[in-house]
Amino acid sequence: MKKTLIALTLLLAPTSVLADTLDDLKAQGFVRIAIANEPPFTAVAADGTVSGAAPDVARVIFKRLGVNDVVASISEYGAMIPGLQARRHDAITAGLFMKPERCQAVAYSEPILCDAESFLVLKGNPKGFKSFADIAANPDAKIGAPGGGTEEKLALEAGVPRDRVIVVPDGQSGLKMLQDGRIDVYSLPVLSISDLMKKANDPNLEKVAPVQGAPVYCDGAAFRKEDVALRDAFDKELAKMKANGEFAAIVEPYGFSAAAASATSRAKLCGE
Amino acid sequence: MEWDWAFVAKIMPTLLEGLKLTVLITILSAFVAAGLGLVLAIAKRSRNGWIAKPTAMLIEFIRGTPLLVQLYFIFFVLPDVGIVLPPLVAGVIGMGLHYATYTAEVYRAGIENVPKGQWEAARATNLTVPQTWIHVVIPQALPPMIPALANYLIAMFKETPLLSAITVLELMNQAKSVANSNYRYIEPMTLVGAFFLVMSLLSVILLRWLERRYGRLAK
Repeated sequence: MKKTLIALTLLLAPTSVLADTLDDLKAQGFVRIAIANEPPFTAVAADGTVSGAAPDVARVIFKRLGVNDVVASISEYGAMIPGLQARRHDAITAGLFMKPERCQAVAYSEPILCDAESFLVLKGNPKGFKSFADIAANPDAKIGAPGGGTEEKLALEAGVPRDRVIVVPDGQSGLKMLQDGRIDVYSLPVLSISDLMKKANDPNLEKVAPVQGAPVYCDGAAFRKEDVALRDAFDKELAKMKANGEFAAIVEPYGFSAAAASATSRAKLCGE
Repeated sequence: MEWDWAFVAKIMPTLLEGLKLTVLITILSAFVAAGLGLVLAIAKRSRNGWIAKPTAMLIEFIRGTPLLVQLYFIFFVLPDVGIVLPPLVAGVIGMGLHYATYTAEVYRAGIENVPKGQWEAARATNLTVPQTWIHVVIPQALPPMIPALANYLIAMFKETPLLSAITVLELMNQAKSVANSNYRYIEPMTLVGAFFLVMSLLSVILLRWLERRYGRLAK
């Protein structure tokens, strides 16, 4: 009896459960999204207003799907996917770049924001870092990166030992730690580093971009694996916006290339 | 959501690495707290108002502000005046200083418990002030304090996860980083809880022994 029930649920799942998510969202009138606070991907103003390219795109698309409001909560990159699975939020719109292992864990939309990786270093790049491998090769070099973010993974994959990859809670701390000499390099996507440099306005800093050997990554809105129907609905609106230029109008003022996002696809980035 | 033993085996070495650091931090901070606490307690008792008043204010100030704020201050603000401490040192100083203000109160109670006649006898036998403290007061005041001090040791141990805020890779931070790269919280967090529980229980056994061994001596 129990087995038949489970089989029945599984059979019905693709239609009933999935349609429910969007209907539920419509009924409650808002969708919970996870963001970081890393301009220009995601930004939270002093008065609590959420902006940034990723939430802005999501807000428009969800509105078209009939969900009028987004409620954003700030999260560490590493905690976003577990939080999604634990139903703490319904989507991740935070510049969480597509990597094959993340594609295994969540259902990504088509690409939205694309950026290369960069390093923030002291003026003149005293240690001459051009790639993550250079950092691994220098036994004294310490790199700062967001916890659970793409850069932390790239550094570890390049062979930088765990104790030299410092988990930095936010951009401001990373900047401060670099200025104080606690870390030798702080790694984030190019646009995030540019934004940070503009705010810091410190002539002793320099950007290394793009990092050699690190490809251009793109993020997408990430949904729970069982919410494929919601993801597909999201994709449909996204494709329309990409075609009629609305998409470019939102992301390009933030510095992102709409053409880069249209030129690639989820299938390519996830290695499917 | 099910428990995965293979994953537990995989993350165990990383977590044990974190546990080692957690224990190390606790021991180092305990030394700072024990030593500095005694200095604070004696300074607060000083008959010289210029020493006693500022010490009392310092103690109130530190006890009245959260440890996390103090850690941020030591780690992120002190570099502005040219003091750049490595995360571990900043953490040990922060925890040690914070708990020194608590141990100072324990010392005070212990010192006040030494009968007045002992002070008078020390003066009568012409002992200097340092001699009185070192040979008469502290040896009598210390044993009854040991259980109370050990209590703070356990409290300190359980506060070490705060140091993850200043990038110390202690047990909690290691667990978070493991969870971050595997998208699983259940095993790492359960293990962190279990580690802390086991260590605390062991400490409680030690504490009971200390109470039996020293608690009675005072009588």
